[in-house]
Formats: sequence, C-alpha cells, structure tokens
Amino acid sequence: MSPLDKNPVIENIRKSLGRQPGQAVEPRPAVLPPRPALEIQAEIDLFVSELNQLSGHARRVHQEQLAQALDELVQAEEIRRATLWKTPVLGNLGVADHLERLGVEIIPAGEDKHRLASCDLGVTEADYALAETGTIGLLSSPEKPRPVSLLPRVHLALLRAAAFRPDLAQVFAEAKGQGYLILITGPSRTADIELTVTLGVHGPKSLNVWVLV
Amino acid sequence: MTESTHSHQAPAYIEFGEYSTHVPKNIPIALEQATGRFLGNREARIAEMPQWEELRQAAHEIRLHTLLNLDLYLELVEKQVVAAGGVVHWAVDAAEASAIVVDIARQHGARTAVKVKSMATEEIGLNQALEAAGIQAYETDLGEFIIQLAGTGPSHIIVPAVHMRKEEIAALFREKLGIDAPTDPLELAAIARRILRERFLEAEMGISGANFLVAETGALVIVSNEGNGRMCTTLPDLHVAVVGIDKVVPDWESLTVLLKLLARSATGQKLSAYTSFITGPRRTVGEGGAKQFHLVLLDNGRSRILQDPVARETLKCIRCGCCLNVCPVYKHVGGYAYGWFISGPIGAIFSPQILGVEAARELPFASSLCGACADVCPVKIPIPKILLHLRHRVVEGDEFEKPAAPAPLRASASLGRVALSTPWLYRLGTRLLPFLMAPLRRDGWLPALPPPVNRWTRVRPLPAFRGGFREWWAQRQRRNGDRDSRGSP
Repeated sequence: MSPLDKNPVIENIRKSLGRQPGQAVEPRPAVLPPRPALEIQAEIDLFVSELNQLSGHARRVHQEQLAQALDELVQAEEIRRATLWKTPVLGNLGVADHLERLGVEIIPAGEDKHRLASCDLGVTEADYALAETGTIGLLSSPEKPRPVSLLPRVHLALLRAAAFRPDLAQVFAEAKGQGYLILITGPSRTADIELTVTLGVHGPKSLNVWVLV
Repeated sequence: MTESTHSHQAPAYIEFGEYSTHVPKNIPIALEQATGRFLGNREARIAEMPQWEELRQAAHEIRLHTLLNLDLYLELVEKQVVAAGGVVHWAVDAAEASAIVVDIARQHGARTAVKVKSMATEEIGLNQALEAAGIQAYETDLGEFIIQLAGTGPSHIIVPAVHMRKEEIAALFREKLGIDAPTDPLELAAIARRILRERFLEAEMGISGANFLVAETGALVIVSNEGNGRMCTTLPDLHVAVVGIDKVVPDWESLTVLLKLLARSATGQKLSAYTSFITGPRRTVGEGGAKQFHLVLLDNGRSRILQDPVARETLKCIRCGCCLNVCPVYKHVGGYAYGWFISGPIGAIFSPQILGVEAARELPFASSLCGACADVCPVKIPIPKILLHLRHRVVEGDEFEKPAAPAPLRASASLGRVALSTPWLYRLGTRLLPFLMAPLRRDGWLPALPPPVNRWTRVRPLPAFRGGFREWWAQRQRRNGDRDSRGSP
C-alpha cells in the first residue's frame, strides 16, 4: 500500500467510531502512582529474596570476594567457555582476567551466534533492577550484545546498587527511547508438560545475580 | 491421542453442543489441575496487592480509551515504527495477513521460520499458508511445539497442550521425531530444547505476535517464560510481527498498569521470566537482533466490532486466560469444544463477532452466566452481559446482524412471548399443561419427550409441571392469612 492510498483499516475504524480524520485524542485516563522506594539495603534484601524464590541465585558480593565467587561458580557449573559484555564495571573488576586465570576460554561477545551458543557462561551487567519482582533490566549496544544473556546455559549479571529503581514506571521513563530492553525475572522456565516446572527450556537454566557491595 | 477437532482454517460452523457430549475423559481432570494451580498462585499475588481493584479499574479505562481513539494511536504506531526503521503493513483480513508474511519470506529467500506462540498467527492460519508456499514454520514454545507435532491447535491460551499426558507426548516424540523419548517431563523438555536450539540458530526468519504495541515509541512488547520469544526475535536476521490492531497501548506509562496485571492474572507470577521491548530493527550490527523488522497490523473484523458499544469491550482483552481458568463450562469441555483458536468465555464472545453468529451461534449459549469470568477479568470485560447481548443477536438479530437461530427455535420463542404476555392465554396454558403431560408423567418427572423437545430428556428427565404460579401464590396467601388471624407475632 502506497502512502497516498487511503488506509482501509483506519477508514473502517473511523466509520465504526464515528470519528473524523484529525480529531484529537481525548486525554488518557490516569494511571496509579508508582511504588515508593524502600531504603537501599531493604530494596536489596527484597530483590535477593524475590529472585531466590524463583529458583534464581541472588546474593551480595563484596568486590574483594569476586574472584572467589567466580571460582565457586566455575566449579559448580563446570564452566569451560564464557563470553562477556565490555562495560566499564566488568572491565574495572577484571572479570575476564579472573575467568581466564580459572582456565576458562573467553569468546568475544561480538562473535557469531553459533560460537556464543557454545559458551557455558554469559556475563552481563544489569542496567536496572526492580526489587518487588526480583527483576533485572538489560539494554543493548555493540559492547552489550543481546545473545550474551540468552544463549549460554548460565547467566551471571552483576548489579550495582545504583541500578535499582522503585517501579517499572522509572525504568520505562529512562529506557523508552532505546531500541531494546529486556526484563529478566528468574531463569527460563516452562510448565507446559503436565505442569511440571522445568528450568532452562530455551534460555539460561541458571540465573545468578550478584549485587556488588 | 485425544480426539481434537480443532480446525486450522476459520471454521464454517462450530459444533459446541455436539462436541461437548463426547469430551475425552482426561480433559476435565487435566484442566482442573492446571487451572487450580494458576488460580491458587493468582490469589496469593492479589493478596499482596492492596491496589488490585484500582489497577483493574485503571486498566479498564486505559483499554477502553485506546479503543475509542484507536485510529489515532494506530497512526502513531505506524509513524514511530517507520521512524525506527521498521516496515508497517496493514491487513484487512486473515488471507491478506498471511499473504503479506509469505511475500516477505519469499523476498528474503527464507525457507525456515521459527515462531513465538502467537494467537494472531493461529487466528490467520499462518503456518498452513507458509507451508503451502514451501516455507517450514517451527513452533518453539514447548506446548506449541507439542501440538504442532500432534497436528492440532491450542486448547488453552497459556498452556496450549494442557490436555495431553506425558505418556502421550513421549509417544508423539517417538512417532514424529524418531527419538526414544522417556515419559519424564524434564527429559521431554530437554529433547525439545536440543532440537529447537538448532532451529533457532539456522532459521532465516523469526515470526512473533505481541502482547502489546506501544504507540508512543512503536515498541513491540513480548512476554514469555521459556525464552523462545527472545530467541526468535534476536537470532534470525528477519523479524516479522503479526499483531491485532487491538493490542495497542497509548504509552509506556499505561503499559506499567497492564504488565502488573497480565502475569499475575495468567499464571500467578509477578512478571513472566522474560519481557522483551523491541523498537524497530537493531540500531548497530554488534548488538545483535534482527536486521529487518516488519509489523503486520491485523484487522480481521476488529474494526467492525468497534461499532457495537456493548460488544466492543471484547477487544479490551489482554489474553491472560484467567476467564478460562475460572469457567466451570470450559473446565468440563476443554478448549477444542469452542472450535477455534480462542476458547473459554472470551472465545464465546470473540468468535461469534469475528466469524459471525451464523458460524458460531452456539457459543453465546455455552455458559451458565455464573459471572466468575467478569469477576476475575483484569480489564473488566463484562463477559456475561456481552454473552446475553450476543444471545439476543442470535435469536432475534440486531442492527449489526440478522438472526441465526434455527427457524423452529425462533418461532417457538415468538410463540412463547405471545403466550407469556397474554394473560388469558397464559392461564389457559397452565390449566392445559397437566393434562397434556399426564400420559408421559412418571412420579413427578417426564423421563422422555417427543422430538424436537427430546433434546432435554436425552440427557436428563424434565420435572413435571405442578400447577400455575398464580394458584400457588393465592393458596400461600390464604395459608399465611390463616396464620396471621391466629395471632402469631
């Protein structure tokens, strides 16, 4: 359909509603005020508790404990190959170096999807977090490719306290100009066969969120 | 296998009554379990939300407002999706929508497509259209993957294969995939993951629907738990979304209200595992995501529904499936009885409006009007009121459609109206009835009646007529009068 043609769908809607072209939209009904934030330690506590209830693995990690925490994760999940985002926080913490020292092969996040799919672990950094639902929000850019949080069977997201927002409303107000946002609330799950909960059906089976303190 | 009779094409006639007399025995059991769990979780979520009723009211107002200004919001969607680098197509009906998707696939030389669970593509029978064009479309939601192997349609909006037992699914995997599948749900899911992982990585095209479409920026919102929604929209170079024009949301602020209601109403989750917000194709090569994004906006009768001020509230639906979970009729007959991709109370009001009352005339009667659906609906669709509205349309017709009920039924309804509104005729009837019934009467019941009224007695006996209300009332007044005169308090 060329732009000069009349759009039959719009025409039919106007006929049904008795509206004229160009007639103004009435003001949109009000929404409820957003949830008020708790103080930050309480927000972190709530986040950790909510995500763990969903079979996620959330906890506070001190910066100096990071190497040890990575060691434990690599052992427990038998990580041999990993890919990770290039963010200032992940860089400053030396996540890639720690993993390499543990004998993990690093695949650059810009590699082709088949290579990324062969990774056991994908490491990202949350842009947003919502305590009430145990949710993290990730944006995307060339340094932060979308498949890293999707294709590997284990997802580790580092989370700064500054990323917490009280409500979806604040996340949306900040992110709505972006081309992509993903909200992740727990590991991939299904109950499609006899309602038996199965984790990791397509996305990561194991979701680890470490709140940096 | 269960005997599923779901048709992929829009059905010419939906035989709800006929189907409901031979529902497979496992269906009510499976549905009672599934819906019970969802409703239990939902109750727990609502108990945590003191503002639940205010949220429902806000959602109702926002959805109705969107429908009443739909032309302008759709124009904004088009403008914003194009500004983001996407291509927008308008489809008047199902055939046009399927043809558009097939064309896009051909232009890109796509031979395989991976699909997110989508009611809109079920509605237009897209898989069959793609297959006819030599393009293989793979369903990737675990439940949809199973029913695609079985060659049937979904029996529930949220859990499409809810009616199948693990033994049946294992047998199906053995037969169709040639895999020695065990009967363990975890193992079956692992098999599906392995097979679908290859398809995600190989497919040239991803096809999705959308839960919402945000007019403010042209963002497509897709909710999923398994992650297949992310796979289909992240890995292939081409992403085509088929979205009903009723899915529009004015802005991101409105979206907060609807997202807070959707997962809580559907499965009793606070949010589903993944909620994707995709605005146009990828902006940079390195970030991943589709290189090309096409949006197909599907009308298929929705714009016509808008002219009916009562029934148009049907289009407020956000497809949570909660009305199915509470419906005593749905839980007994299952999704296939409703004859099309959408079932339960919402199907009973949606299908007759899209397909016409001629094809779906039984559906408005497939309800006890108990009202449970309206009580739980997160956007407050007055389903019982719309059912009655459509019953009226079926029997007597209205300004939108001619009546569709069989002539004898319409004639007896007219006769009934005359008899009930003419006092002398009514009194005569109450005198005559006991004599007419006498030969068939057995201990206060009528076990068998002649055609066409035997449709009741085929299933259960009819209580015999015990006398007119007026006589009964007069006697009661006399008895009470006696008591009063004896000086009771």
